[in-house]
Amino acid sequence: MSDQTKYANQIAVVKQECPDADEGEIGKEFARYEEDFLIPPEDALRSVIKKFQVATGVEASVNTSTPIREEKKVGRFSELDADDRNVTIEVAVVSYTPRNQMVRGEEKQIAFGWIEDNPHEASSERVRWDYKDWGNKGESMVPGSVVRLEGVSVNEWNGKRSLNINRTTRVTVLKEGGGSAPPTGDEPMTIAAASEVEGFVNVVGRVMSAKPDVIVRKDGSGEIPIFRGKIADDSGNIGFLSWKEFEHEEGALIKIVGASVRKFRETPEIQINDGTVIETYRDTSFPDMAELVESEKVSIADLRNGMRDVSITLQIENWAQRTFESQDGSSRVVRSGDVMDPTGRCRLTAWCDFDPKPGESIRIEGGRVQFWQGSPDLVIDDLEQVSSLSESPWEKIDPENHWVEVGLTEITQGGSRRGISTSGTIVAINSGSGIIERCPECRRMLRDGSCAEHGAQRGEEDLRLRFVLDDGVSNANLFLGKEPAEEFLGMGMDKIKGEISSVGKEVFISNLRRRVLARKMFVHGRCAVDGQGAMLFADKVELVNPEPAEEAERVMQKWEVVL
Amino acid sequence: MGGGSLISGDGGRRARQSAVRIFAQEYSESSLIERGVGEYDPSFVITKLGAKVNRCLVCGGLERMERRDGDSGPFYRGQVRDPSGTHYFDVAPFQPELHPDAEELLARFETGDSVLVSIVGRQKSNESEDGGIFTSIRAESFTEIDIEAYKSWLVEAADATLRRLEAYASSQGAELTENGLRDAGVPDDLVPGMLKSREHYSEFDTEAYRVWILKAFSRALGRVEETPEVSINNNPMQDVSESVQSKEGADPRDVILGIMSSNGEDLIGYDDLVAACISAGSSGEAAEDAIEHLRDVTMEISEPRFGFFSGSS
Repeated sequence: MSDQTKYANQIAVVKQECPDADEGEIGKEFARYEEDFLIPPEDALRSVIKKFQVATGVEASVNTSTPIREEKKVGRFSELDADDRNVTIEVAVVSYTPRNQMVRGEEKQIAFGWIEDNPHEASSERVRWDYKDWGNKGESMVPGSVVRLEGVSVNEWNGKRSLNINRTTRVTVLKEGGGSAPPTGDEPMTIAAASEVEGFVNVVGRVMSAKPDVIVRKDGSGEIPIFRGKIADDSGNIGFLSWKEFEHEEGALIKIVGASVRKFRETPEIQINDGTVIETYRDTSFPDMAELVESEKVSIADLRNGMRDVSITLQIENWAQRTFESQDGSSRVVRSGDVMDPTGRCRLTAWCDFDPKPGESIRIEGGRVQFWQGSPDLVIDDLEQVSSLSESPWEKIDPENHWVEVGLTEITQGGSRRGISTSGTIVAINSGSGIIERCPECRRMLRDGSCAEHGAQRGEEDLRLRFVLDDGVSNANLFLGKEPAEEFLGMGMDKIKGEISSVGKEVFISNLRRRVLARKMFVHGRCAVDGQGAMLFADKVELVNPEPAEEAERVMQKWEVVL
Repeated sequence: MGGGSLISGDGGRRARQSAVRIFAQEYSESSLIERGVGEYDPSFVITKLGAKVNRCLVCGGLERMERRDGDSGPFYRGQVRDPSGTHYFDVAPFQPELHPDAEELLARFETGDSVLVSIVGRQKSNESEDGGIFTSIRAESFTEIDIEAYKSWLVEAADATLRRLEAYASSQGAELTENGLRDAGVPDDLVPGMLKSREHYSEFDTEAYRVWILKAFSRALGRVEETPEVSINNNPMQDVSESVQSKEGADPRDVILGIMSSNGEDLIGYDDLVAACISAGSSGEAAEDAIEHLRDVTMEISEPRFGFFSGSS
């Protein structure tokens, strides 16, 4: 069937609009939409008409000019004219009164109040105007604050001028207004919720551990006695540090009022000081020790820098010891290795006489977590903290094949970990990709031949690729070092260098973009997570070939869609 | 240089916004904009289904591509077509690093070849003083893709839209608070957007969304012939609600003139003018009448190219 017969109905409609257009050409255009763009003829109609109207000469000059409303920046209200739009001005907010008003039969929340110009001077130098807020800017228009308004317009009514703040107005807070102290009561929150805040909290929990400890003053002026321990409820547990006597035993149920939560590295901790009140709490339905101990068990995926009192079961992957000279000249031995559980792998360091065999299952009580090369490193200081298990609690893990598949959302919400695989779509190729120069002292990247730390340097060349992986909900920066980058690009560093110098860096990036942008990528490696997001360091990456039919079947099944 | 244009402008201290997979229709129907309060806070287009779009990943057939000269230098403007409608994008004068690629795409377009494009970009919106909203995309990077990759995106966008549809369904009858929505099963990442969208938009029929999702699936499966014959415009329920709304809605003529004045010399597409009027509360019919009236009777707007309008001056 020719395009002309297949699309006869649509062609007739186009002909009505564009009598001069060629039917064969119109048919081709519909075929192009259907085959190349996957748009059926009935949906393509308007697009095709547009195309032929343009093609058959209805096209006029594109540049009909209308005056552009330019931004007007002023310092004082007196510089404004009655018909100024798109004004930028800095003002002090004097008052903000919200009100519901009927606008064209619809109830709208608007607000009005006073603002003063010249906000950085004494108030006698200021002029006060009325304003109306049509754009719900209440969160930033706090009385007492100084704000920059961009895109406001002047309104004149009965000879009196005021400002209109519109929905498109940008309000930037330059100086915060009146203090908003958080209300304090003695209402407790769950430990999980308390772990999320930084500031004062009240909690009810069972004492899981408590023992005296000391903090050594750095200036050598002595020691401060403290207590450390952990409390738990059914939402989780949290470590505490008490600067005063702590007389509650393990197992006691207590209510802590007016303690503050601080973060030690990445781990929140409750600080108990002189102002904190601790009292015995009675609740017969509160979970008992045994129940809470069970819920305390963590896995490698849960480890965070700075955690203490960690109880965990692990399988040893490898183990080695090395001797080094400590600062005071004596020789010390440190033992370490890679360990695994079903959620991933990490490093274990022992400052004691611990010599497990690869494949052995062990149980650790009271370990602590520090960071080693951006990944958690479990530390035990005493042989009593570890016990060997005769049976593995899970099916033996094969270290060669132990990649735990984790979604991007779980990665960004979790902690730093090793031995993971994940996938997502490449949505950006960062311009730091390609050949870079590193400082020979510290391996940091040189900028303009200079290291932030070590000044001008003769850099050592290295290869690196930087992408952003995104699944539509979460994203992570993806780094490929020299080896994975060479493997992915299918050529050695010298060849890559040659290509970049022959085509130029921009073209190299542009070619790379054509190859990877909007493509799915599968990544093996480790991740590091901080407040600004997740970074993935790849050991190996591969592009996933699109299989739209299979993907469609899977998604349709997931959402129970039937064609 | 670093990734200045790729990570948020303040050196990447803020977490990067993920790229929402979204069909053109859902994006263009949006009339709710959330502007960042602070200097570097991200802004969002919030859709009827509760997607908070700061960055998006879209694909489609390249229907238009042109270079323009503005006051701050050359820029590019284009549109891509997906099963639901058209995404409008531009490459700004301040993105010179993208201009060579834009030139190349322009050249490809001008040969008359069919070009499928994938675009990662940031939300952009223009608003008339009466509240009509025109959404578009400022491209951050884009590339030509093959049909298999395009089909794969169709599936991903359908998946993401179905997820939002399910969240929207769960939000019906739920208490309109963050906790209320979470308890009703709305996924965490959709809760803030869903809350705002439920407060802003009135009830609407989600059937149209399902129509283009089905189209997307049948295309991805290669079943070109089986386009479901559903015409949404003939839904009598919708006509009734539209004409009721139009009695109270803004005068579409004001909406159109507002968009023209806030958009400077740019040309605005017919569909977008109609969409803006509808989102400001008029009926589609009233919007079409208003466009004709302004063009032919009062001559306050002109149509220099078929389907594209600008203010007369």
